[in-house]
Amino acid sequence: MRPVLDGPSSVQLTIGKIASLAHVSADTLRYYERERLIKPAAKSTGGYRLYERDALRRIRFIKQAQECGFNLAEIRSLLALRASNAACCRDVRHVALEKKLQLEAKIKAMKAMSGALTRLIRECSTDSGSLDDCPILTALERSNGVKRRSR
Amino acid sequence: MKVELFYTPGCKKCADARDDLKAAAEQTIPGIIWRELNALDELNYAVELGVATLPALAIDGELVFSSLPTCRQLRRALTERRRGEHGR
Repeated sequence: MRPVLDGPSSVQLTIGKIASLAHVSADTLRYYERERLIKPAAKSTGGYRLYERDALRRIRFIKQAQECGFNLAEIRSLLALRASNAACCRDVRHVALEKKLQLEAKIKAMKAMSGALTRLIRECSTDSGSLDDCPILTALERSNGVKRRSR
Repeated sequence: MKVELFYTPGCKKCADARDDLKAAAEQTIPGIIWRELNALDELNYAVELGVATLPALAIDGELVFSSLPTCRQLRRALTERRRGEHGR
C-alpha cells in the first residue's frame, strides 16, 4: 500500500491523522483554524474535520515559520504572499529580512541584559551577606534612582 | 551631513523614490553625503540604528524615517537638523 503522503491531493485525512503526520496536536490544528491559517476541506457525515493532503504542507510551513520567529499574523501574510500570483520571491525576502532585523535587535538587547547581569553577579562575591548589603539589589535600585532603605 | 537609505535588494518602491529623494537632499544641503545601504549586507549597522522595517532612512547615523519619506518630509527633516547644528 502506498503511503498516504504520496496519494492525490484529494485524499482526506482526519484531524488526528494529519496532526500525527505533522507532529502537532489536534488542539494546535483547531487553534490554527480559529486563527484562519488552515481550514478543513470538508466535514464527514459525523461532523469530523477532513483535510486534503496539501494541508500537511501548509501546517509544516506554519510550524517552520513559527520556528523562524514569525507570529501568526505574519504567517497569515506569508501564506497570502505564497498564494498570490502577483507576489514574487523578493516580496518574501523583504518580509524575511525585516523579521531578521527585528530578531537581531532582540538578540542585541538580550545580550546587553545578559552582560549587565554578568557584571552584577561578579560584584556579588559573598554567599551569606545580609540582603541590605546585596550588591545586585543595590545596583538594581540605584539604576532607578532609588536609594535603598534599610529594613 | 549624511543621509543613509536602507533598502531591500530588488525593492521597486525604493528604486522609484530614490532619485527624487536624493535630489531633494542635495538641493536642501549642497554637498550632502548620500549612501544607499543594502540592509542584508549592513545588517549589524542597521540593527545598531534600530532599523526594523524597510526601507528606512537615517540622517547622520540616526534613524529618522522608518518608511520612505516624501521629498517634502525629507527636506524638512534636513532643514531642522541643519538649524539644530547651527544653534549649538
